[in-house]
Amino acid sequence: MRRSKRIEALDARAVNKDGFIDEWPEMGFVAMHSPYDPKPSVSVENGVITELDGKKRADFDFLDQFIADYAIRIDRAQQSMAMPSLEIARKIVDIQTSRKEILEIISGITPAKMVEVINYLNVVEMMMGMQKMRARKVPGNQAHITNLKDDPVQIAADAAEGALRGFSEEETTTGVARYAPFNAIALLIGSQVGRKGVLTQCAVEEATELELGIRGLTTYAETLSVYGTEKVFIDGDDTPYSKAFLNAAYASRGLKVRFTSGAGSEVLMGSSERKSMLYLECRCLYVTKGAGTQGIQNGSVSCVGVAAGVPAGIREIMGENLVAALLGLECASSNDQSFSNSDMRRTARTMLQFMPGTDFIFSGYAAEPNYDNMFAGSNFDAEDFDDYNVLQRDMQVDGGLRPVTEEEVIRVRREAGKAVQAVFKYLGLTEVTDEQVEAVTYAHGSKDTLKRDVASDLMAADDLMKRGITGVDVVKALAESGFVDLAESILNMLKQRVIGDYMHTAAILDEHFQVMSGVNTPNDYMGPGTGYRVTGQRWEEIKAIPHRIDVNEF
Amino acid sequence: MEVNEQLIRAITEAVVRQLHADGAQAGRNSGIGQASGPQAAGSAPRSGSGSGQGVTQSLAGKTRMRPKHSYEGAERAKQGTDPKEVVIGVGAAFQTEINATIGGIPLDDVLRNVKAGIEEEGMTSRVVKVLDTSDVCFMALQSAKLSGSGIGIGIQSKGTTVIHQKDLYPLTNLELFPQAPLMDLETYRKIGKNAAKYVKGEKVTPIECTNDPMVRAKYQVKAALMHIIETEQLDPDKGMIVWEGAR
Repeated sequence: MRRSKRIEALDARAVNKDGFIDEWPEMGFVAMHSPYDPKPSVSVENGVITELDGKKRADFDFLDQFIADYAIRIDRAQQSMAMPSLEIARKIVDIQTSRKEILEIISGITPAKMVEVINYLNVVEMMMGMQKMRARKVPGNQAHITNLKDDPVQIAADAAEGALRGFSEEETTTGVARYAPFNAIALLIGSQVGRKGVLTQCAVEEATELELGIRGLTTYAETLSVYGTEKVFIDGDDTPYSKAFLNAAYASRGLKVRFTSGAGSEVLMGSSERKSMLYLECRCLYVTKGAGTQGIQNGSVSCVGVAAGVPAGIREIMGENLVAALLGLECASSNDQSFSNSDMRRTARTMLQFMPGTDFIFSGYAAEPNYDNMFAGSNFDAEDFDDYNVLQRDMQVDGGLRPVTEEEVIRVRREAGKAVQAVFKYLGLTEVTDEQVEAVTYAHGSKDTLKRDVASDLMAADDLMKRGITGVDVVKALAESGFVDLAESILNMLKQRVIGDYMHTAAILDEHFQVMSGVNTPNDYMGPGTGYRVTGQRWEEIKAIPHRIDVNEF
Repeated sequence: MEVNEQLIRAITEAVVRQLHADGAQAGRNSGIGQASGPQAAGSAPRSGSGSGQGVTQSLAGKTRMRPKHSYEGAERAKQGTDPKEVVIGVGAAFQTEINATIGGIPLDDVLRNVKAGIEEEGMTSRVVKVLDTSDVCFMALQSAKLSGSGIGIGIQSKGTTVIHQKDLYPLTNLELFPQAPLMDLETYRKIGKNAAKYVKGEKVTPIECTNDPMVRAKYQVKAALMHIIETEQLDPDKGMIVWEGAR
């Protein structure tokens, strides 16, 4: 066939490098609704749910049982289930109906009913819903802080710059798993250099992550994964009960925790039980709620390539974010994983969370170039900072970031590097040279930094764990190396675990270490003239992007 | 990467063609489960790209990617005692339903290079096929537990690889290579060498990480399909079986 030049031009577009697949419910490749999804139902006898979404108690798998016993308010169930799904959907969008009233209704519905409600909403209505149902009044943002070399100095510098740019939480992970304690310490130190009160976590294997938390080397945790089918849970050596136990382990030490789930994980692991991604994710979110954790990171997350590959997949992602908010959970709404070669498509996907605002619009914006992002690439990276700041300014939307000056960036990066150098020296870890700190200070990514002795780093990291080094040792190291103010900040972060307020839903800390959560600063949006508006000092900050024409110099 | 892309496309197209043929076959042969649904599966293979087809293909009723392989009479792999051995645990579809990684590298070559790497360091290798899990961390850990040295390597048929040690948590590892499309034979050889060095108790420098931030966009749907092919071949009662030369 003679080729059309128009079609050839279209074929060459970035979007056509993306992976797309037709709906295939038998294998779970279906976003919003599968013909095999159950019909909503509930029966309550003697205060116990004896039937859930068409299944009798005797036939429950462990997710059904966990959800029936812990995630649905039995005293509300019959009343809420009697309300038509369409009516609930309309109330979600209705500005006259308060968030509180919606939470009350939702507390009694089943996962299959939730699927029905969400299917009534188009994406604009979902955004309307999120604007009202988000837990915290002011939206927030989270960064990924990683690099290909697991270089702790670069982690500290990027953490400092990220905190300066406005991220309220920062998450690291490793390329080589055994680097975890180094990455955690570097992130803890760097974050406080950029802006006091930023929370930090290190996403690694769950037992290691817990130990880092207990030691005070991290200040929250996020990577407690839950799944929508029993088979996938079992394959991971887990149950909803073991996750609830893990959650309690963090809580016992006063650490903020959220779970992680998202569309497509069951498909990728080959055990979707023919259900839609939305139904399976609803089950995950009910398990999350039932386990008593305050929040969730969801929105397909690392399986976004699968969700985005099917029709209405991006709608489903916004739908599942909304389900989290409807259940009263803090929602860290993904946008943290690259899924498209098209700049247009990746931006459009993020607008669904950016415009209404979520508790964390990204649950990892790559605050380094994407080649250094060890979560295999985020949807936005360090090279998009100015684009993002302009989007905030164009639409007068608070996306959680702010413009910065080059002088500030260089200053905080150097200070973070120097602090890590001092702590490593004090604790007898591997050497950090002045040359390394200088390289990192001016670097964009790990291509601009020096090589480290990986084998020696790993031995020192192992040794650090064996010696029982904790957050208090880091405070001491900083204080005795002359970083008194920084030592004070990290001590203040450790104190949060004794106070415990930051375990409340959607909590972040301001620069005075004061908690702002869904409890003390709840979202009170009820239409125009209410809720959070971008005004005053924050608006002035957003306006001040770099590269404005200076009229006086024109 | 660019060089590989054409190859991948060619392989994918070949796989899709074969898949449609197999799909129809599986529908006819199996009298179980949902296979009796509307049998439109495989009737509308999509060719080319870019041009809209008007309608999407119906996959309703299709319940498998490949027919089930029989491991009847396969020999169960034994607990190792040789302190010099590294056990390589390959995926359930390895060299049977899947013959090349997601990046298009023939699995025969993958195995040959991992084994050569181990032998270059003076250690010995033993290959088993893992039929009770398709999770690469558990594949690797089970291999490590079976290994006389306590070091094992798990390799999924799509190429994802983990080096594991018997006393570590399942979801941690000695080295993990999560981005299968970036792998080359040199890396597989180095994996063999490093695994052998862990056996010897040497101070090992992990193989440098590689990262393609667009890997998900390009490959995740294909990865899901390959993982389905692997997972549907599991035969948990058989556990781990001897696989050396069993082609």
